[in-house]
Amino acid sequence: MAHDKTQSDEKTRQHKVRMTQEKIDRYGKLNGDNDILHYDHDYCIQRGFRGTLAHGMHNMAPAVDLGLEKYGGDFFYRGQVSVRWTGPVCPGDEQVTVLDAEDNVVATVANVPGKGTATIMIGKSTLRKA
Amino acid sequence: MTRPAEVKVLEGTTPGTRFDQFEVGAKMGEVSFTITPEIIDEYILAVEGDEKLYVVDGRMAAPPDVLCVYMTSTLYQKYPPIQGIIMCEVAFGYRHPIWRDESTEVRLSGEVTDKYVKKERKFVKWKGRYKRADGTLLAEVENTFSVPE
Repeated sequence: MAHDKTQSDEKTRQHKVRMTQEKIDRYGKLNGDNDILHYDHDYCIQRGFRGTLAHGMHNMAPAVDLGLEKYGGDFFYRGQVSVRWTGPVCPGDEQVTVLDAEDNVVATVANVPGKGTATIMIGKSTLRKA
Repeated sequence: MTRPAEVKVLEGTTPGTRFDQFEVGAKMGEVSFTITPEIIDEYILAVEGDEKLYVVDGRMAAPPDVLCVYMTSTLYQKYPPIQGIIMCEVAFGYRHPIWRDESTEVRLSGEVTDKYVKKERKFVKWKGRYKRADGTLLAEVENTFSVPE
């Protein structure tokens, strides 16, 4: 299985997924996004990135699934997902997304040169008040 | 079925929009597309979604974020993209499921709400609304991206 989803306790949920260029390309083929940042490694290095970049919306998908896991069917009617991307996810990275008891979302990748573990996305995945 | 590429202007196919060409308050025209069960299946595969989560009262639904792949269609039809745009923030409010066992015609429209320069980077902010053809609100979105110049 390509990814691992665990409920580590009653309050904190976690989702892990390994990014590959194949997955970036698959998302890009559906998304229709032709931005060079997603497929041209040399261009991305020139811009100061570690490699090609996964689509931000692709990185957001675990935050939606974690909200659905927590709130079930209500999330389809009142789900609120807001994220800010603070760093890239590149091929080879394992994205770990955590939803805490207060509905905060933090996603990280490990082994980033010069940084160690880097936060790549923060936000909320919660319910709008009825 | 409407593939997102059919309703988006692709990067690199036109000169693209410079930061100074975005106009705060500009309305973006309505874009219509059809989300089919096939598109939903392809989306779940692409994001490695968890099938068991997409059920509402026993009926299969699409992951609500399937709307993401169409998000920039209305924006890019009015403001064709240049290469190197980076998504910075997004907020989605989901209001109604998209059912997985039928095709759904969706209409997306929006407007530019802000543009600003911060730490020498140029940002554009806009918001949009996804509605079914019968007027049912499916989701609202607010997005900020940076334009490389």
